[in-house]
Amino acid sequence: MSIFKANSVSVNRAELAIVNDVDLQVERGTISVLLGANGAGKTTLLEGLSGVIRIAGGTIELEGQPLQRARPGARARAGLGYVEQGRTVFRELTTEENLRVGLHDSADISEAYALFPELVQRQDVPAGLLSGGEQQMLVIARALLTRPKVLMIDEMSAGLAPVIVGRLMQTMRKLADEGLAILLVEQFAALALDVGDRAYVMRRGRMVYDGDCKTLLDAPDKLHDFYLGSANTEG
Amino acid sequence: MNSLLTSAVAGLTAAGAYALLGVCAVFTYRLVAVVNFTGAAIGTAGTFVLITLYDAGFPLWPSVFAGIAGGTIAGVLIGFVMTTWFAESAASTKAAVTVALLVGLIAIGLRLTGGQHPHVMPDLFPGSAFRLAGVEVTIASALTIGLAVLFTLLADWFLNLTRTGLHLRALSERPMAAELLGVRVKLLSIFVWAVTGSFTAFALMIIAPQRSPNFMTLSLLVVPALAAALVGLFRSFWIALAGGIVLGVVEGLVSGFDGVSQYRGAIPFLVILGVLLWSQRGARWDDAR
Ligand SMILES: Nc1ncnc2c1ncn2[C@@H]1O[C@H](COP(=O)(O)OP(=O)(O)O)[C@@H](O)[C@H]1O
Ligand SMILES: [Mg+2]
Repeated sequence: MSIFKANSVSVNRAELAIVNDVDLQVERGTISVLLGANGAGKTTLLEGLSGVIRIAGGTIELEGQPLQRARPGARARAGLGYVEQGRTVFRELTTEENLRVGLHDSADISEAYALFPELVQRQDVPAGLLSGGEQQMLVIARALLTRPKVLMIDEMSAGLAPVIVGRLMQTMRKLADEGLAILLVEQFAALALDVGDRAYVMRRGRMVYDGDCKTLLDAPDKLHDFYLGSANTEG
Repeated sequence: MNSLLTSAVAGLTAAGAYALLGVCAVFTYRLVAVVNFTGAAIGTAGTFVLITLYDAGFPLWPSVFAGIAGGTIAGVLIGFVMTTWFAESAASTKAAVTVALLVGLIAIGLRLTGGQHPHVMPDLFPGSAFRLAGVEVTIASALTIGLAVLFTLLADWFLNLTRTGLHLRALSERPMAAELLGVRVKLLSIFVWAVTGSFTAFALMIIAPQRSPNFMTLSLLVVPALAAALVGLFRSFWIALAGGIVLGVVEGLVSGFDGVSQYRGAIPFLVILGVLLWSQRGARWDDAR
């Protein structure tokens, strides 16, 4: 059984239907990759799932518990982690203070430093002064210290150097192998498909592909069509 | 010379109250991002709980505690309104909402407390604390200033050294990011309103005997309070504290001069105007670069 399920979720923005009737499941110990062109509605979907926006329809379940009416904080405390796009560090807090904000009773800061050793020497630096890569590591580590069961990450690689992107992908794989359920939104489709298990593709607010990563990776034309819209999924 | 000093020292009680209210305004702005026009009205509500109970024959100190509780509850109610319906609104919208709430509070307050006719406000701390260059400094003024300093120290300590303080700092910078990490944002915001409500209630009880204690006059002490907060650019507790004290002392000094004393109420406006002009000049200069 999937640990996290979204059933016919619709999300509006400013009264406009942006995400329509989307189904999605994430399993423990796997990486699900969510792809789609700019403006397809990936961020809007994640905001609906995390509670940043109230959804217009559908249900959301974490371990069988309905979450669609819960506030974002309650969803987070239930085990749904969400790393927003744009590296939302608390700029005026130090690295260490950022890590302590959501620290779960059973978690320890040292886990974050073990995962991302480069953060150790930056622990007393205000997070606003970190590099883009360091900030991304910080927000991922910060979310992990809340002990999520499911972790959703939006645009993990945006604006980062390829070495760092590779590093983060490997980290995702390791976390999934340790049992975490990950939903990853990525622009670097090939890299994400390479590390992921299941793939979803969104187009104009609808889910147009749900299958394994391998199939998409082996058929780059198909993926290309999803982005450009010539696939016969229209309408 | 001595009469000048007497006037200045006479302004100290107001100075302490302005300072405390100003620091509370900075606290509210920094932590829950609201320019709060109801600050003094919340304290006034608490003060009138005290006055009503005392009028009805209840002993003084239990009435004081009931009054502080009243201020706390008033703060929580306003905080509940702001966090439930206006948490996502722009700063200017939130400020406008508190202005509307202030008008409402004054109307209800005047109705409940029998209009503008004066009430008997017990002097909580009669007498003088010490002499400064031959001039009596009242206990009330020493106490309000002491309370303002205490609040500032506590705020600093609390924000920097406790877990809840860390959550508040995170919340003040990015409320949604804090909430997504499981921080109980709404509860914490209401806690901020409760704390400022109880402190301002106590401060207003101390200063009320020296003003005409009617609901409107006391509620409008928010004007010098916001002027003090503005001097600290709604950021620095210590500068807001100093701003409030200077404001009170200058007001005291001015009231010592016959020709101008009736204009002393305009001083906060001059300060607000001055700070705003000065900060705008800064902005334009930045743009020009
Ligand atoms: N704040 C907003 N208000 C109204 N429309 C928005 C807002 N943010 C995004 N949109 C629209 O919603 C659609 C989906 O955007 P988004 O979810 O950000 O896509 P993606 O993350 O896949 O790039 C786009 O057409 C975009 O123009
Ligand atoms: Mg996006």
